Amino acid sequence: MKRVLKTAAAAAIAAGLGAPAIAGGHADYTIGISNTVQGNGWREEMICAMKAQALASGDVGSLNIAHRNTDAAGQLEDIRNLIQAGVDAIVLNPSNTEGVNSAIREATEAGIVVVAVDQAVTEESAYVLSNDQEGYAYLGAKWLFEQLGGSGDVVYMRGAAGAGADNDRHTGFTRALEEYPDINVVHEVFTGWQQDQGKQQILDYIATGLPFDGIWTSGIDNVIVDALVESDVPLVPVVGADNAGFVGQLASVDGLVGAAVTNPGSIGGAGVTLALQILGGDIPEDRTVLVTPSLWDNTTEEGMALINAAQNPNLDPEWPVSVSIPGWTTYTMEEIIACKGPGE
Amino acid sequence: MMRLISKNRWTMGLFVVLALLFVVTKIIQPDFGASGVESLARASLPFAFATAAMAVVVIAGGIDLSVASMMAVASVTAAVLMQGASDAMAIPIVILVLVIGVIMGAINGALIVITKVPDIVVTLAMLFVWEGVALLILNAPGGAAADWLEALIVGGTGLLGIPKALIVLAVCVLVVWIPLRRSRLGLSIYAIGSDENAAFRSGIAVGRTRIIAYAICGLFAAMGGLSLTMSTGIGEPIPGPYLLASVAAVVLGGVVLGGGKGGLIGPIVAVFILRLVRMDLTLMSVDPNVTTIVEGTIMVAVVMLGGVLAIRSARS
Repeated sequence: MKRVLKTAAAAAIAAGLGAPAIAGGHADYTIGISNTVQGNGWREEMICAMKAQALASGDVGSLNIAHRNTDAAGQLEDIRNLIQAGVDAIVLNPSNTEGVNSAIREATEAGIVVVAVDQAVTEESAYVLSNDQEGYAYLGAKWLFEQLGGSGDVVYMRGAAGAGADNDRHTGFTRALEEYPDINVVHEVFTGWQQDQGKQQILDYIATGLPFDGIWTSGIDNVIVDALVESDVPLVPVVGADNAGFVGQLASVDGLVGAAVTNPGSIGGAGVTLALQILGGDIPEDRTVLVTPSLWDNTTEEGMALINAAQNPNLDPEWPVSVSIPGWTTYTMEEIIACKGPGE
Repeated sequence: MMRLISKNRWTMGLFVVLALLFVVTKIIQPDFGASGVESLARASLPFAFATAAMAVVVIAGGIDLSVASMMAVASVTAAVLMQGASDAMAIPIVILVLVIGVIMGAINGALIVITKVPDIVVTLAMLFVWEGVALLILNAPGGAAADWLEALIVGGTGLLGIPKALIVLAVCVLVVWIPLRRSRLGLSIYAIGSDENAAFRSGIAVGRTRIIAYAICGLFAAMGGLSLTMSTGIGEPIPGPYLLASVAAVVLGGVVLGGGKGGLIGPIVAVFILRLVRMDLTLMSVDPNVTTIVEGTIMVAVVMLGGVLAIRSARS
């Protein structure tokens, strides 16, 4: 039975997980990284966070990065190649909760520390540092439905069909939907987490002339606001993620009501920190840590304060603004933007 | 013996390249050994089946862009049916999935033959159809695989430590290919790929042969889908990167894209070469964004080199 500790990232430290490895510069570990989505802002930030944290820690001699678009079978191959490369730890964003278990088991049996970030795996020998995807969707959907006064027509713009995180988010969205029986989902599409695809889909829907009262997105958000503005249709409430472009729009687009739900890509850097802690003998009590999302809406003062504080024009609009996680990452803003790992 | 070598010069060349790559791998990573070969074999399995599937239709003068989607349908069907089923039930499930593969392939082939729409258009459309079917069967990764099926491709055999995955691959491909290659049907497949009119005038039922070639493609794709379920223990509805990889391996393996020439051994050796290149690039921790460029460059270089050698030997 896996004990699940639900806590905010900062609270995780208080819960006894210990401070991150201080950049002492003694150890010389090799860390392997495996990721299966390439060319997506969120994932690129995750990789950059891993590189920056490895460099900032001073304990990583080199990184071995397998970063490409592939399926679970491809990730199995990548993990096994990393085992062959003799890495000390592997930090991965699993393509699936169960599909890569066999290779993770082989890695841990070979004495390699395995940390799954962003999404969970069911393999018990791995450590999991994950964003709570179900909570992410529930929080944003509930806010949207309340904004609409509990009734109205909603466009539901999901992530990638069949992806584990999309499925978890769907569970959360459905839970919120059940609490508001007068909300109708009038249109449901998979954006594939691709900006161009998402924008085309909403333009197609706007072109039908069918009315809608709100839009929930799975993080393909700023292009949706762009589409509404360009099409000259009334701005409806939009829920997105804490991507730099969308957070900027929440503060600057006149008449836009919206909320950003946090989903830090910097969790990758936190994963490197956790792996280094374990390599250093500091074993956490719980194998699973869930980072709870929070919601910043531009209709309240507190929300606006958070949105204003998070503004960062230096970031790529697709990058989440939460470029660091207090207590888990020690790199600077410049370091993550530079995206350099040890030896680069 | 000399005749055999000269007839299969391209395949022999690929074996030499593969052997050299193993030496390079051993130099990069001195610890590389049985476990490395074993993981290479397991990683190659779905690619090898996809490539075999593609090779058969390319030899027949066609192409099937829906290979990866058919693999996804096979994979999710197997995973859904095996969830909660007994170990013994897995055997009929495997047979059923293989039959479904044959049917999917035959549908592709029949559509091409009946509608006379170009194969590239029909199979491109079917790519989306089969992808949708896979998502209908299972909308998110899930399901299960029988333990004995998963164990079938894990580890080595007593025989010189040859990986089990390699044995499974060899048995599955040879059981289909050897009898086919030597039969009238096999010759017909080569004939329609080589020259459709000549084949027709020689009395070959071109349409029927084409449908059968696509059905065999579907069969290999189903095997590929099963190998995905066997290695991951689940079914994934979103097709993996097997379409372009299979075309690449087919070309690298010496099958002429126009049809009529080549076999299955060359393309499958090419799969191992491409996987080993990927492993070496990971071992050397090459920048992941550079990795795909390197893979593509190697492919172009090898195929160009092959072209030059072919022209030279034709002159002499």
